[in-house]
Amino acid sequence: MLLDPGMDLNLRPMRYPVFYDMFRNAIKNTWTVEEVDLSGDIVDLENRLSSAERHLINRLVAFFATGDTIVSNNLVLSLYQHVNAPEARLYLARQLYEEGVHIQFYLTLLDTYIPDHEERAAAFTAVENIPSIRQKADFCFRWTDSMSDVRRLGSRDDRRQFLMNLISFGGAVEGLFFYAAFAYVYFLRSKGLLNGLASGTNWVFRDESCHMRFAFEVVATVRREEPELFDRDMERRVLEMMEEALGAEYRFAEDLLSEGVAGMSLRDMRSYLEYVADQRLQNLGMEPRYGTKNPFPFMDLQDVPELSNFFERRVSAYQTAVAGEVSFDESF
Amino acid sequence: MATEVALLELGVAEPARPGPVTEPSPGSAMRVRKRNGSLEPVDVNKIVRAVARCCDGLSAVDSLRVATRTISGLYDGATTRELDELSIQAAAALIAEEPQYSQLAARLLGTYIDKEVEGQAIHAFSQSIAAGHRTGLISDATLELVAGNARKLDDAVEPERSRSLEYFGLRTVYDRYLLRHPETRKPIETPQYFFMRVACGLAQRCAEAVDFYRLISSLAYLPSSPTLFNAGTRHSQLSSCYLLDSPADDLGSIYDRYKEVAQLSQFAGGIGLAYHRVRSRGSLIRGTNGQSNGIVPFLKTLDSSVAAVNQGGRRKGAACVYLEPWHADVEEFLELRDNTGDEARRTHNLNLANWIPDLFMRRVEAGEGWSLFDPKDVPQLPDLWGEDFERAYDAAEARGLARRQLPARDLYARMMRSLCQTGNGWMNFKDSANRRCNQTAQAGNVVHLSNLCTEIIEVSRDQETAVCNLGSLNLSAFVGPGGLDEAELRSTVGMAVTFLDRVVDINFYPTAGAERSNLRWRPVGLGLMGLQDAFFKLRLPFDSEPARQLSRRVQELIYFEALSASCRLAEELGRHPSFAETRAAQGVLQPDLWEGVELSPDLDWPGLRARIAEHGLRNSLLVAIAPTATIASIAGCYECIEPQVSNTFKRETLSGEFLQVNRYLVEELRRLDLWSDEARSELKRSEGSVQQLAGLPEDVRALFRTAWEIPQRSLIEMAAERAPFVDQSQSLNLFMANPSIGKASSMYLYAWKQGLKSTYYLRSRPATRIMPTTVGTAPAAASEGAAQVACSLENPETCEACQ
Repeated sequence: MLLDPGMDLNLRPMRYPVFYDMFRNAIKNTWTVEEVDLSGDIVDLENRLSSAERHLINRLVAFFATGDTIVSNNLVLSLYQHVNAPEARLYLARQLYEEGVHIQFYLTLLDTYIPDHEERAAAFTAVENIPSIRQKADFCFRWTDSMSDVRRLGSRDDRRQFLMNLISFGGAVEGLFFYAAFAYVYFLRSKGLLNGLASGTNWVFRDESCHMRFAFEVVATVRREEPELFDRDMERRVLEMMEEALGAEYRFAEDLLSEGVAGMSLRDMRSYLEYVADQRLQNLGMEPRYGTKNPFPFMDLQDVPELSNFFERRVSAYQTAVAGEVSFDESF
Repeated sequence: MATEVALLELGVAEPARPGPVTEPSPGSAMRVRKRNGSLEPVDVNKIVRAVARCCDGLSAVDSLRVATRTISGLYDGATTRELDELSIQAAAALIAEEPQYSQLAARLLGTYIDKEVEGQAIHAFSQSIAAGHRTGLISDATLELVAGNARKLDDAVEPERSRSLEYFGLRTVYDRYLLRHPETRKPIETPQYFFMRVACGLAQRCAEAVDFYRLISSLAYLPSSPTLFNAGTRHSQLSSCYLLDSPADDLGSIYDRYKEVAQLSQFAGGIGLAYHRVRSRGSLIRGTNGQSNGIVPFLKTLDSSVAAVNQGGRRKGAACVYLEPWHADVEEFLELRDNTGDEARRTHNLNLANWIPDLFMRRVEAGEGWSLFDPKDVPQLPDLWGEDFERAYDAAEARGLARRQLPARDLYARMMRSLCQTGNGWMNFKDSANRRCNQTAQAGNVVHLSNLCTEIIEVSRDQETAVCNLGSLNLSAFVGPGGLDEAELRSTVGMAVTFLDRVVDINFYPTAGAERSNLRWRPVGLGLMGLQDAFFKLRLPFDSEPARQLSRRVQELIYFEALSASCRLAEELGRHPSFAETRAAQGVLQPDLWEGVELSPDLDWPGLRARIAEHGLRNSLLVAIAPTATIASIAGCYECIEPQVSNTFKRETLSGEFLQVNRYLVEELRRLDLWSDEARSELKRSEGSVQQLAGLPEDVRALFRTAWEIPQRSLIEMAAERAPFVDQSQSLNLFMANPSIGKASSMYLYAWKQGLKSTYYLRSRPATRIMPTTVGTAPAAASEGAAQVACSLENPETCEACQ
C-alpha cells in the first residue's frame, strides 16, 4: 500500500501509473524565471499604484519570499519520506524542483521590486516581524513539526497523522494560502497592473494546482486502500484545520487591505476564502462548510483558455518536451 | 448570493491594522469621497439610477445587480472616480453570463470617457483637435483641415455610433488609442473624435474625411493600428510592417541595422529582418585573424535592442528574424527561444522564422542529406530562388564548400520541435513566395523574407526596406440574414484601397531606405477579419463546402475590386514607378500563378485585364491578410480568417484580462433553452468546447467547433483556395492541442505541397491545467478518470495502465 513504511524501488510493474503521468505532464510545463519580463512592473510600482495598492503588494511579496521554501521543507521532511512508491517520489522530486523555480522567481521579484537593500532584507524577515505573515508561517511550522517524531507510519494513527500533514499543505497552504495570494495578483492584473508578476504567477499557479492535484490523488489512493482511516474524527480534524487556516488568511487579508482597495473589499475576500475552502473540502470528498459563491469575477478568468498576441505579454501555453519522429502520413 | 447580503447590510469592515480577527461590522455606513473632497454616504438608489440610464434597449440586463456588485467592491472613503470604475467592472464581470452586459459596460465606460474629455473643456471634435495641436500632438495640416471645416466636421460626428462598440473594443480604444494630454494623461478625444481624427489625418478634403469617418466608425473596415495611433499627428508613421534584408557580412552593416530597426519600431512598426548574409560560427575573420562567433551573439544584441524600444508606451517593439536553412548556424538559431540553456544564447523577445527553399522540402521528403554553408563561402545563395538557387546549391555541394552535412529530416525534426515547444520558428516558403510575387518578374528583384506576421511578401535589398500599410475589412458587417451583400463589400474595397494608397504619400518614413522603396512599389495590404462571424451568422460549419465556397468567393471579390480600384487610381494619378518591372505589366495576375484556378464568370476579368494593360496599376501589391489581433477586438469580431479558438476565452492585453463569450452560441443555446449556470460551468470545464454539452443537436455541435476541433487539413486547404486572390500572403495560424513531431511534420509538408507562401504560429495548449477555481470540483476520488484519460490513443506512450 502507498503508505506502507519503507523505500520501495520497484518501477515495474508500476503500481500507480497516475503519478508517473503527472510527473511526465509536469515536465512539459517547464518554465524559467528568465522568461518573465518584469520591466513593466517597475513603471507600475513607481507611477501607477495607489499607496493602498503598494501596501498590499509589499505585504504580498513578503509572504511570497518564504512561502515556497516552507513548502519545500515539508516536502523533504514529510512527504518524500512516507509516500512509498518510486513513481510518486519521482513526482515529488519534480515538485521540489518546481518549488525551487518558484523560490528563484520570488527572489528575483523582490530584488527587482525593492531596490533598497535594507527594505529588501526586512521583506525577507517578514516571517518573523510581520504578525499577519508570522501567523500563517506558524500554522505551517506546526504541521511540519507534527511529523518530526513520526519516523515510520507503523500505526493507523501515524498514517492519519501523515494524512493531516499532507492535507494541511496540499489543501490549506497550497490550496488556500496560495490561492488567496493568486487572487490579489489577478485582481491587480484585472486593473492592468503588474503584468510581469501576473505572467510569472500564471506559471506558478499552474504548477501549484498540479501539486495540489497530486496531494489529493494521494489522499484518494490511500482512501481506496484503507477506507477505515477516514472516520468522523478525521473529518472533524480536517474541518478544524481548514477553519484555522481560513482565520489566518483572513487576518492576512485585513492587513493587506487595511488602507482600502477599491474593487477588493474585505467582505468579498472573506467570501472568496470560504468559497475556496469549500472547494478543498469537496476535493476531499467532504461536504462544503460555507456554501459561499465566488465573489471575484477576475478569478473566473483563470479557468478560461488564454489568447494572447505577441505584441503584448508572452504566451504561457506552450509545451516543452515534445515526442515523436518525422512522418508524413499522420492525420492533422 | 453574497451581493444580496451586501445590499441589505451595506456595512464594511473598519480598516484594520494587524490585530485580532474582526468580522465586518454591519452598522457602519459606507461613504464616498466626492471630487471636492467631501464625504457623502453611499446612495444605492443613485447608483441604480445612473446604471439604469445606460440600459435602454438592453432587455436582459439588471441594473440593480450591477449596482449591488459595485457597492460590494467599495471601501469606506473610496472616491467617486473609483465608484465609476467599479460600476464598469461590475458590468463587465457579468458578460460571461449575459453578453448584453458587454454593451452596458461599454456605455458606462463611454459616459466615463465623455466626462473626462468634457472636464478639459472639450465639447466638440474641432476643440479636441485644437487641444491636441496646442499640446504638440496634432499636425499643422490636420489642424488646418479641421479649423477650415469645423462646423461641418463637428456636425458629422455621430456620438451614438459608439454604441455599436462592445466593451472590449471600447476598452482597447480607451486604453491605447485615444490621444492623451501629455501631462495629465487624460484623453482629449472621445471614441468618435478619434475616428474622425484618423479620417481627417488621411483625407485631403472635408467631404472625403466625412465619408471615411462614416466607413471606419461603422466598423466595416478598420485601418491597422499604426494608422489609428498616428494619423493626424505630428508623427504620421502609419505603416504596419517593415522588411529589412540581411545586413551585409561586416560589423558596420550589422550595427547600422540595429539603428534602423530601432528607428522603425519606435512609431509602432513591426519588423522582419533577414540574417542569412552574416557569416556563421567558426568562420575566419581576416582583419583580426580570429574566428567568428556566428549570428547568435548579434541576435542577442538585437533582442535587447528590440525590448528597449517602447512604442510610445502602447506596445513593445517586436521583430522576427528570418534565416534560410542552409545557414550553418541554423540549429543554434532554432534554439534561440528555448527556455533552458545558456541565457547568453537565448532571445526571448525575438520571433523566429525559417525561409525555406523547395529543395530542402524535397530532400526531407526523399530522406536525403542536407548541407550547411557559411554565407562567406556562398554569398550568392540569398539572392537566388527556384532553379537558379538549386543549381548554385548543388554546385556549392559539389565543390565541397559545405561546413557540415546532416540528414535533411533531422533538421526538419528540429524545426518541428521548435514549433511545438515554443510556437515559434514559422515555416515560410522562399520559392513559392518568389514565384508568386508580382514584384519578382525581373531578375535581381528578390523576396528575401516575410514580415513580423508572415502576411507580407515584398522584395527588399540592402538600401531598400520594404514597407506595407494595412487595413482590414470586417466581413461580419457585410453579412445579414439574406447572406453576403456583395455590392456593399465591393464598394467598400474601392474606398479602402484609396485610403491605403493615400498612406503611401503622407506617411512619415523613419528611414530613407523605407521611403525609397515604398514610393517605387506603393504596396498595400487589404486584409479580412470576421470570417468566423460570417460563418456563424449563416450557420455554416467552418470546413463545410458552402463555407469554403463563400471564403473563396469573398477573396476573389476583394482582389478583383482592389485591382480595379488601383487601376482607377493609376488612371487618375499615374502608375507606380516600378510598374514596368512587375508581372502585372506582362499581363500576369495572381490567379495566373496558381494551377487550375477558375475565375468567376460574373466578374469581368477580361475587361479588368484590358484596363490594367492600358493604365497600369497604382500599387504593386494589394491584398495581405494580417492577424488583426487588436483591430478585431475594436470591431468586435473574430480575428482574421481564423476559426474561433474557444467558445469562451479571456483576452490578455496590456489593460488586463477580458472574458469573451461566443454571443452566437449564447443566442443559440437560449433558443434551445439550454443557457444555464450548468451550461456555463460545462463550457468552462471543457475549456470552451461544446462537444460534451448535453442536449445539443448535431448540427449545432458542428457549427460551434473550435480551432482545436476542426481538421487542420481543411484550414490549409481553405488557405490554398483563397491564395490565388491574395497577392501577398496570409497570417495562417495552425492549431494542435497536443503537438507531436510526427503530426507537425505531416502538416507542414502538406502546407508546402499546397503551395502556401507562409504559415504563422503553431498554437498548442498547456500540458496541464490550473485546478479550476470557480467550477464546482469533483472529489479527487473520482479522478481515477484522470488515469483513463491519459490512456488515450492520442498519447499511447504515456499510458502505463495496459502494460
